[in-house]
Amino acid sequence: MDSVLKAEKITKEFGGLTAVDNITFSADKGEILGIIGPNGAGKTTVINVISGILPLTGGNITLKERQISDMPPHDRSRLGISRTFQTVRPLEKFTAMENIMVGALFGRELTKNKARERAESICDFLNLDRTDAHVDNLTVLELKKLELGRAMASEPEILFLDEVMAGLNSSETNEMIELIRKIKDRGVAVCVVEHVMKVVSELTDRVIVLDRGEIIARGRYEEVSKKEEVIAAYLGEEEENAED
Amino acid sequence: MKKYAFYLILLLLAVAFPFYIDGYLLHVFLTIFIFMTMALSWDMMLRTGQLSFANAGFFGMGGYVSMVTVSSLEIDPLLSLIFAVVFAAAVAFILGLPVLKLRGIYFAIVTLALAHVFEVIAMNLEITGGSTGMVLPEAIFGGDMQLLYWLVLGMALLTIGISEFFARSRMHYAMHSIRNDELTAQASGINVSRTLIIVFVTSSALQGLAGAIYVQQYAFVLPESTFSLDYLLLPIAMALVGGTLSTAGPVVGAIFLGLISEYLRLIMPYGHLLIYGLVIAVIILFMPGGIYKPVRNIILNRILNLGGAS
Repeated sequence: MDSVLKAEKITKEFGGLTAVDNITFSADKGEILGIIGPNGAGKTTVINVISGILPLTGGNITLKERQISDMPPHDRSRLGISRTFQTVRPLEKFTAMENIMVGALFGRELTKNKARERAESICDFLNLDRTDAHVDNLTVLELKKLELGRAMASEPEILFLDEVMAGLNSSETNEMIELIRKIKDRGVAVCVVEHVMKVVSELTDRVIVLDRGEIIARGRYEEVSKKEEVIAAYLGEEEENAED
Repeated sequence: MKKYAFYLILLLLAVAFPFYIDGYLLHVFLTIFIFMTMALSWDMMLRTGQLSFANAGFFGMGGYVSMVTVSSLEIDPLLSLIFAVVFAAAVAFILGLPVLKLRGIYFAIVTLALAHVFEVIAMNLEITGGSTGMVLPEAIFGGDMQLLYWLVLGMALLTIGISEFFARSRMHYAMHSIRNDELTAQASGINVSRTLIIVFVTSSALQGLAGAIYVQQYAFVLPESTFSLDYLLLPIAMALVGGTLSTAGPVVGAIFLGLISEYLRLIMPYGHLLIYGLVIAVIILFMPGGIYKPVRNIILNRILNLGGAS
């Protein structure tokens, strides 16, 4: 398999807290990798250090053999790392179309006309109809699609999706699953952080399980979900929740 | 087409002004165009989400650089404007590198402090005349008001041109994305620090130019009046009254408040500032989006019969 992204021994510390502890993984072209684990396991932090929003404390990240650990986020975006945010962060000044255009304008340095064409074809692909609507007027599903569209507009090598299913009903979830599969088929490495286990089992080719910043298991979801340490990590979470 | 014809007529009227109005009114418009430059350049920075209070500082700096270069290098005042622009841009670039890392209230307060630092420097250097300031024997163009008017009009048009360039190019998307959500902007490939420095240097250079021309009009600088808070607060009021985050808003606001303040000064020599402040407060309270859009709709619909304006 073609490894698009390699994270080697990456570590992120916040003061005394180690949010990501010396983890190594890679993502391949045309596969969907799941990152799962209980709340606070460090899943979003992994995305943040790879997309460059947070600096690494230690370790190495390479994109197609190219060292990117010290690059600012906008350069990583141009090289092919795209992401969505857990809580959607649309650009409120702009329409849905313009939001997606921004990704093409800067992620791919297209001209305005080219970026608009690209944004239109992405809206078609996503089935996003109300392209001239202002962000305030969009539904949750439309906002999620917009977030996905903006991330796709830069034609990424690897796309990180941080809980895109959160807040969607089951038919919307199915629509989103189909979309993500189609994106994968375009030759993009897709990496999903997901809480809904049904989605993880349907969508992912393989998963890594994080707990307290460390990888405690990796492999196909069906196998991993039966492992004792994985069950314990999730059960532990439930016990802690029960105490609240 | 009708819209462009309207703008063209306005432009021709503005250029031909000196031929049909008297010196007093010409002076009023000259001041309006200087403040328009200040208001619009402040608004450019606001479009990136940064509230800058450095405008009066760069205004005064431009004025001082222009005076010092004329008096010590004995160059033409017109040439000194270039020095003022380059100096203000260079200082904005050097200070911008660290200061533009700050956000929100921290950025605002540091820019306010910087403006004060410039004033203290001007007050304490020998070359700037210390607390007594400097006087030149002659105003720019030998005191010719018409030439000065066209120079100031040219500066205002240049500022409008730059503002429209920002509004129509990729910069528009970069600036407003940064204001909306910096994380999304970064994740979308926008170079935040480069965008901010481009806008900060551009707006500071324009403010330096405005200060230089203003000072050369009177051939005179004094620390507390050249760095007066008026050059900070009035442009902000103009942008707010006209409508921020656009070219037209600050332009309309500058003309509107400029004319109002002059009119009030004429009809009530004492206490006119009270009414002036009241006008600003009432407009900002009841028309928070500024007066430009309502005024534009009236012009487009009633006068030009274009209809369909939002």
